[in-house]
Amino acid sequence: MIILGEIIAVHSYKGGTGKTILSVNLAATLVKHGKNVCLMDLDFRAPSLSTIFKIEKAEYWLNDYLNGTCEIDKAIIDLRDRFNNESKLFVGLANPATEAIREMSAKDRKWEMRALGRLLALRHSLLNDKDFDYLIFDTSPGLQYSSINAIVTADLVIVVTTLDRSDVEGTRRMLRELYDLFEKKTEITVNKVLCASTKSGKDEVQTKIKEIYQAPVLGMIPCFCEVSMAEGAFIFTQEKPDHPLTKILDEIVKKIENNKA
Amino acid sequence: MTKQEALGKKPTQMLKKIRENLEKLNEKLEIIIEMQKHGRGDVQPLPEAPLDVMTLLSMPDHLRKTAMTVCRLGRATAEEVAQQTRRARAVESGYLNQLVIMGHLKKERKGRKAYFYVDKEDQG
Repeated sequence: MIILGEIIAVHSYKGGTGKTILSVNLAATLVKHGKNVCLMDLDFRAPSLSTIFKIEKAEYWLNDYLNGTCEIDKAIIDLRDRFNNESKLFVGLANPATEAIREMSAKDRKWEMRALGRLLALRHSLLNDKDFDYLIFDTSPGLQYSSINAIVTADLVIVVTTLDRSDVEGTRRMLRELYDLFEKKTEITVNKVLCASTKSGKDEVQTKIKEIYQAPVLGMIPCFCEVSMAEGAFIFTQEKPDHPLTKILDEIVKKIENNKA
Repeated sequence: MTKQEALGKKPTQMLKKIRENLEKLNEKLEIIIEMQKHGRGDVQPLPEAPLDVMTLLSMPDHLRKTAMTVCRLGRATAEEVAQQTRRARAVESGYLNQLVIMGHLKKERKGRKAYFYVDKEDQG
């Protein structure tokens, strides 16, 4: 059986690097490019997508799917009506209730092993049976169980990093001691770059990043005040089609599609 | 079936049986070799140990590759694992049996084929 879809995990060493903003905008851009996408919040310690998509109550959460109490089609929500597009965008949410977060933090190894099995099963249930082209996993930062499960399941890991020294050092270690061990295709996205407005500044940072990480750079995103000012209240690339960030996301999506082909 | 056909089938069945037994014997030898290699000739297989990502991370590279392939395939023969890892079937068979001894995989025989899988249900 040939499965043409791809699973992308968006991960980082530290929190606050922009994983969620990148995941959401990446999903929206892929939909704009005619792809069927399912975006999943696997950050069970700090769920965000329910707030971003303004969904307060869900009948089932991804927590339920991983607990084995429902099938995946119950735990994903159709958002096609919000995107005037022929392609589909579904979203799977992590339960933001404090009790659910506490419960997910206390899972044991056996549960995590079964959760890995259920994540691996998505390749067939969503990519194959439901015709999704991409599954995007937004993960918890660092070496959390849920994040490593997501990385093991993924075909491509997009590592979001900033130029902060502790982030750079941690990301470098993670590349060698985590992604390499699982033989994962890994690409770097540098976020909040301050000197990316000029071409020479951008080239300099890109060369430096390639040298440090010895991994391909998928994209470089300048520090845009407008993104912070939006306060996560809307999907940037959807609301601001002419903004430079939207153009950068378009380029990133083109690269992902070319690499897949 | 004519008498001649029946007589012709018997040696084929016998050869099949001999082949099955030789393969079983071969697998047992591979397990013994693996256990001796790791100085474990005197110990019994370990109790079930969950094959979670942290366990995968702490494994030697050669075993991780085999274990990850079984995780992805769900249930596989040594031949199927070898196709994915591009290593020899006999090598994979040795690694798979070692993972069974370590308690990370289960093994089930169906006819001539031995299937390896991660037992998710019994470990809850």
